[in-house]
Amino acid sequence: MDFTFTEDQLLFAESIKDFLQNEVTPESIRESWDSETGRSQDLWNKMVELGLTGMLVPEAQGGLGMREIDFVLIAQECGRVALPEPIVDTAMVVTPLLKDLVDKDPRCVSLLEKVATGETKVAIGHAANDLVSDAHIADYLLLTQGHQIHLLAKADVDLEAQQSVDPSRKLFAVKWEANDETLLINGSDGVGLLAATLNRAAVGTAAQLLGLSEKMVEMTVQYTQDREQFGKPIGTNQALKHHMANCAVKNEFAKAVLHRAAYTVTEKPVHGDFAVSHAKLAAGEAANLAAKNSIQCYGAMGYTWECDLHIFMKRAWALDKFWGHSGFHKYRLHQWLMNPNAKIGAEMTFGEQA
Amino acid sequence: MKLSFSPEDERFREEVAQWLNDNLTGEFEKVRFRGGPGDEHMFQEERHAWEKKLAEGGWTCIGWPTEFGGRASSIEQQVIFNEEYARAGGPGRVGHIGEGLAGPTIIAFGSQEQKEKYLPGIVNGTELWCQGYSEPGAGSDLANVKTKARFDEEKGKWVINGQKVWTSLAHESDFCFVIARTDPDSVAHKGLGFFLVKMDQPGVEVRPIEQITGTSEFNEVFFDDAECDANDIVGEPGDGWKVAMGLLGFERGVSTLGQQMQFQNELNEVVRIAKENGAAQDPVIRQRIAQSHAELKIMRYNSMRMLSGQSGSDGSLQKEALIYKLFWATWHRSLGELAMDVMGPESQILDPGQYELNRLQSMYLFTRSDTIYGGTNQIQRNIIAERGLGMPKEPKITAKT
Repeated sequence: MDFTFTEDQLLFAESIKDFLQNEVTPESIRESWDSETGRSQDLWNKMVELGLTGMLVPEAQGGLGMREIDFVLIAQECGRVALPEPIVDTAMVVTPLLKDLVDKDPRCVSLLEKVATGETKVAIGHAANDLVSDAHIADYLLLTQGHQIHLLAKADVDLEAQQSVDPSRKLFAVKWEANDETLLINGSDGVGLLAATLNRAAVGTAAQLLGLSEKMVEMTVQYTQDREQFGKPIGTNQALKHHMANCAVKNEFAKAVLHRAAYTVTEKPVHGDFAVSHAKLAAGEAANLAAKNSIQCYGAMGYTWECDLHIFMKRAWALDKFWGHSGFHKYRLHQWLMNPNAKIGAEMTFGEQA
Repeated sequence: MKLSFSPEDERFREEVAQWLNDNLTGEFEKVRFRGGPGDEHMFQEERHAWEKKLAEGGWTCIGWPTEFGGRASSIEQQVIFNEEYARAGGPGRVGHIGEGLAGPTIIAFGSQEQKEKYLPGIVNGTELWCQGYSEPGAGSDLANVKTKARFDEEKGKWVINGQKVWTSLAHESDFCFVIARTDPDSVAHKGLGFFLVKMDQPGVEVRPIEQITGTSEFNEVFFDDAECDANDIVGEPGDGWKVAMGLLGFERGVSTLGQQMQFQNELNEVVRIAKENGAAQDPVIRQRIAQSHAELKIMRYNSMRMLSGQSGSDGSLQKEALIYKLFWATWHRSLGELAMDVMGPESQILDPGQYELNRLQSMYLFTRSDTIYGGTNQIQRNIIAERGLGMPKEPKITAKT
């Protein structure tokens, strides 16, 4: 057993972290709120150059041929800076799905190549979400209907913009019509791919939630050292220390289940449901607690638009409801645990091995 | 003990209900159920007109003594009024700071002249008030106020300099009650004065603060040689802290009754949505709704119990009143979370427009501030432990000058 990341994985994540910390700041995010698309093509190009869009694209299609477990630390860093660009959706959700469809439909081959080179952007809809995020900057949309997955050019769909509580998120109601041309896959194959897509997406979202959570704690710990009341830093007060300590506990424990889930969707995706839902719940709880305790420690300042904290709080609140809200994931846990054949024996630390 | 209302009180209920039914219509239809927590910036003008309408009907300040324009209504009748007001969807009261805080403080601590000068405007709904307590360096450490008041012998006026912050509805207010330092060499709670300051004057500047809701219900208020009359200090110079703390007692008193009824309306809305969208089928949601309802009843009964035991009309409450702010603020924050979970993914989608939060979304965001303003949960726990239970205080650190 080895529950750690390789040196390569850690180094790569560290370099992406440095890159993101330089490129994505609260100031740049506020600027994006006032821009037309809310997205930066320049930043996207840089991420393409770093290989992020092609990380999970097979080498045959010009990608790096890596896997979900290689991306999870990157997704955490995307959350940590509240990156508005849909790199996690692209790398961890869209490209693995296209990869699974390579043998079924030749269109997916060229799409994979073009996503890796940055020439094309693809947005994805799923029954887990009412709306499609970042459809406005996409060239193509993967959309679902029952057990079917369809591919449509943006020109062939109608988009209606919807605002999110998080001003960084760009959400769209999509009106479209399916036909034989648009259909990529159907039937039980479709069911399997849709389920796998949800699990990858939920892991990617959980990773961002954890990054956000750690960022909020870091900001707040700093603030409690700077802000003084009663002639001393407010962080001197035990009540605030305990608030942050509770968050640290949630974060560390969420990390373990998150990395376990990333491993499972990589190595044993058919057994992924329990681990994925567990991770989404744990990361969502951690991020919600961090948001709640951080604003409490910031006091009234944290309730202002001017204070950067709400950038991260609102992303956390939004992502907590994205790719399955807590009720959905808790239900999956119940279903799994109460199953007469549930693999919950003492020897089942890592679940089914096969 | 008798947990019911008398026939006379029930007749009063009918009278209130009838009046609201007859008057909360027409031009006021659109303010029904509006202007509550998180929605206080909405329909300001219409709600001010409604405040005057209420006054015409004699429904402002009903608990005040008749000599000051009230009805001297019993606690029971005040409870009933608030129940009926909430049931009818009466809007958030623009006059609540005057009626609930400034007025009772002036009645308890003010001079005859101040009562004559300020109480009528509150009773007739024409003059609105705001509260000048917090400053950039004086939040939880409220006694650390730096705003200074100096008496100018030549002008015969108090001259005020300094800055207040988080001042709710300052931009709509006619007057502000301000704690300021009358003794420039004093520290902490000594050497303060409590002033009644007119907002519309050259020395007062109000700057709105944008909140995470995208709206601006509170403000920064700058005093730059602002003036008030020699007689506009409540009590003597140096009495400011005593008066300010007396006022906080009113904040935990009868003014809580209307708030709980707003809470009930919000919870009912959450339940309605849960039934409508199927969230009520989720056993976890059901349990949280039940928990929320049970705790709201606890709040309600505890208020009744405290108010029943209240002696005199000075609004001071007994020790159990200390627990109230912590409980309601935490409850309301949880209600916000429940509302978002009941709405599910839809909770993240705004109404069309420029950052248009719907009612429950703005309630959710607003409740993030409930556990902060008026004394954070942490300060409340210190008060309960130290003043309520007599646990030892933390060693005192001399305030920086």
